[in-house]
Amino acid sequence: MRMQLKLKLGLLVYFAIFGLLNASAQEENSEENAYKKRVLENTEIDFLTSYYTQDGNNAAVSGGKGTEELTDFTPTIVVSIPLNADDVLIIDAAISAYTSASSSNINPIDGSGQADPFTASSGASQSDTWANLNATYSHSSNSRNKIWTANFSVASEYDYFSLGFGGSFTKLWNDKNTELTINGKLYLDKWNPVYPYELRPFGANGRGLSDALFNRNTVSGNADYNPEFTEFADKGRNSYSIGFNFSQILTEKMQASLALDLVQQNGLLSTPFQRVYFGDIEDSFIEDFQLADAIEQLPDTRFKIAAGGRLNYYLNETFVLRGYYRFYNDDWGIQSHTASLEIPIKLGTKFTLYPSYRYYYQTAADYFAGYEMHTSGEEFYTSDYDLSRFSANQFSFGVNYTDIFTKFTLWNLHLKSIDLRYLYYERNSGLNSNLISAGINFIVQ
Amino acid sequence: MIKKAIYGLVFLSLFSCSVVKEYEKVYINDPDMVLGTKKLDRFQTNFHSYREAASGVNGGKTGGGCGCN
Repeated sequence: MRMQLKLKLGLLVYFAIFGLLNASAQEENSEENAYKKRVLENTEIDFLTSYYTQDGNNAAVSGGKGTEELTDFTPTIVVSIPLNADDVLIIDAAISAYTSASSSNINPIDGSGQADPFTASSGASQSDTWANLNATYSHSSNSRNKIWTANFSVASEYDYFSLGFGGSFTKLWNDKNTELTINGKLYLDKWNPVYPYELRPFGANGRGLSDALFNRNTVSGNADYNPEFTEFADKGRNSYSIGFNFSQILTEKMQASLALDLVQQNGLLSTPFQRVYFGDIEDSFIEDFQLADAIEQLPDTRFKIAAGGRLNYYLNETFVLRGYYRFYNDDWGIQSHTASLEIPIKLGTKFTLYPSYRYYYQTAADYFAGYEMHTSGEEFYTSDYDLSRFSANQFSFGVNYTDIFTKFTLWNLHLKSIDLRYLYYERNSGLNSNLISAGINFIVQ
Repeated sequence: MIKKAIYGLVFLSLFSCSVVKEYEKVYINDPDMVLGTKKLDRFQTNFHSYREAASGVNGGKTGGGCGCN
């Protein structure tokens, strides 16, 4: 089975490389005489922002039972700078500020009120800031039939740090009707693990039940609280991915693409602050909060494969159809299907409406079970409902305003377009979320 | 799945025999015909990468860079 998979992957890689080499010969002839237009005429600036809210009752922080209330605000700026006729530098900076009721329950016993998995606490873990900086350099050949990119990213939040490196090569041929991209990415991430508050006295150099926490608070239920807890030794997480994207113009009004991503992850793939409650261990409580029996334990490797395609059809001057499908499989036992359809509706030359629908389905990870459904003898376990079996529906509506003459100016910024979008997402397991996003695109002249 | 991807690739590549010329690409060049994702898509791709186990072939992260799935 594994040999067969490797053989098929080999065939695919061969097909991709053969296509590139074959096309390369065609391009060399036309390269010298090609008209050279600048890849990007002017510097462009995008101001993007989003506001996200969610709620549900299956918080992984409290072992699959508890509030999932969360809000997130993410302002972003993207600056695209033409360095010369062929080269473009894109700087992308984002800050995400979030408050999370479930994360706040990493320490539910903060004295601010009755400890309860359905009530937010006021400790330091109730909010965090994620900052991300991404730089991408791209170079296009004279004929614009070859494009190279190199990418570097850095992201940081209180308990997680990431360095990312990537690159891609794109080849167009057949009068730019056919395009193939191969990309590779490497993320070197590191956790600064934060563990559930009641488990910390049972870690290295901890005092167990003699800790001040248990002197200040009365443990009810099983008073001889004795969790299964060892701090993670390996705090790194590395992700390696390779992707292929093949696109083809099919007719004057239709084009399609196929993509394949292969991802290997190694290291700490568990989330250190996600509690698990075992069904065969007597429960212990402080106030109304059940103390963790353990934290999530997941394998330290994961192989993911995703394949999908897009099909766009220009129906007429008013309607465009944009279809998308993805199949996903990994070696944790998860399979998923994603399908979406967006139908842009053009209202004259300036306004476009974007109604869309997305359906998502996944099977559960082999290691998932709900609240109190795991037993203490298992090697791997999680009660994170993001790894459970569920389906989700998403409805969204957007509007775009484009001024092709960039008449409105703000200092030397000329307005090119404004985008607004709202989406509603609902899982059949009860979680629902709302996302409002907006973007303004300026050209610098 | 790989087999299906190869069949799809071969099927699409058959169309490379017919060529749509630059002057015939007025519809293909429409901004809404772009095969990739749009700028605002990043926000929904981001929350999908946290709330769903699947990732990849959507222009977003395939793993790494965040403490998500």
